[in-house]
Parts: sequence; structure tokens; C-alpha cells
Amino acid sequence: MPPPVSELMSSFMAVRTRAYVDTSALISFADKSDTYHRLFRRLFSTPPALLTTPLVVAEGHGWFLRRYDRTRALEFLAMIESMTPLELVPFGGPQQRAAIHVLRGFADQDLTLADAAGLALMKAQQIKVCWSTDRHLGLTGVPLVIHLH
Amino acid sequence: MIDCYHMIRTQVSLSEQEYEAAKEEAKRLGISLAELLRRSLRTLLPEEGQPPWMRFAGMVESGDASSSQRIDELVYGSKD
Repeated sequence: MPPPVSELMSSFMAVRTRAYVDTSALISFADKSDTYHRLFRRLFSTPPALLTTPLVVAEGHGWFLRRYDRTRALEFLAMIESMTPLELVPFGGPQQRAAIHVLRGFADQDLTLADAAGLALMKAQQIKVCWSTDRHLGLTGVPLVIHLH
Repeated sequence: MIDCYHMIRTQVSLSEQEYEAAKEEAKRLGISLAELLRRSLRTLLPEEGQPPWMRFAGMVESGDASSSQRIDELVYGSKD
């Protein structure tokens, strides 16, 4: 028996509104000085369902460690823990293979493994919007949210 | 203006150094120690009606307008 229309609609809406979150969106949200801070502050205040990978969390933590100190880096992790709409999609063998496939496809670009994992995840999960300020995340055609606002 | 009728009294323990520094800062701002502690607390708590993660919005001020576009440079280092 087919699912009820309301169920199909809510499933469609969920797919339509989900966004992938890149490290740059998290840093912009946390850093008052960043050009896009006001945009991400607004977006994160009423977010749709969000997805990211542990590689993005590692990059963000690394940014705070390098730029500031371990206290700030722990605060960044507390921020991630508090973001309940943000789903951390596990990064294991299959995801790594998909990311490496992306890296080989864009061998002329300085893509990081975290970028490639994000591009592969957006493709696999049919994500239509990417929260990022990094042009690399737009390589597969998914629009960056900074160009939509 | 503070509504004294709806205030809750509580005790906090501070180190001597924290106490002196807080008193000094309160004096500099021309406010009471209690008001200084209330203001400090408000900066840590999310604004009313805001989701909990919003208290981290703007938690740092790097001074770099393009900080979110230079993450790779900082995390992975730049090429020589």
C-alpha cells in the first residue's frame, strides 16, 4: 500500500530543505569578524535539518586550536554538541572511498578530504543547498547558500 | 532597572584573585559587584527564546573578514 500523501509530502520537504554544513559555515557563525557572520547567524537561528561529517568537526576543532587555544577548541565542540538539528553522518570505509573518488575526479583542484567527503555526501543524500563560503563546495553544482541570500 | 521583588538570592564562591578583579571591574564600570556578575552571566546564557547554540554565535572576533575562506591555510598550512 502506498504511503499517505502527507507522509510523502513531509518526506519531500525534508529532502528539499536539508542543507550540508561545511567548516566555513561554522567558523563564520562563530567568528564575529567574518564577512558572512550575520548571514550564518540568521540561518543558524532557525535552521532546517542539517548534515555534516566528523571531518568538518575535526577541521573546525583544528582551526580553533591553531587560531586560539584548547579552551576555545573545546568550546567549539560544545557548540557542535548543542546544535541538535545538525546530524553527524559517520565517515567510514565506504564514505572514504566515495570521497577519494571525488578527489580523483577533481584532481586539478586543491580539495581537502573533508571537502570531498562533503561533496560525496551531498550527492549521495541529494542535498540541494550547501552552507559554505568555500567555492570548492560548489564544484558539483550544489548552490552555496551565500549566493542564494 | 532591576525588579528586586523577583530576584533570587544565591551565593557564589570566588577565588581572592577573581573577587578582586571583579570588584575592580565593577568599580571601573560604576556598577555593583552583583550587577557585574549578572551581566557576565547574561553573556553566557542564550537569549530568551533562542536555541541553545546561539550563545556561541560570534564567540570569537578574529579581526579577519575572510577567516571562513582561509581555513585550509590555517589548518593545513600554506604552500611555500
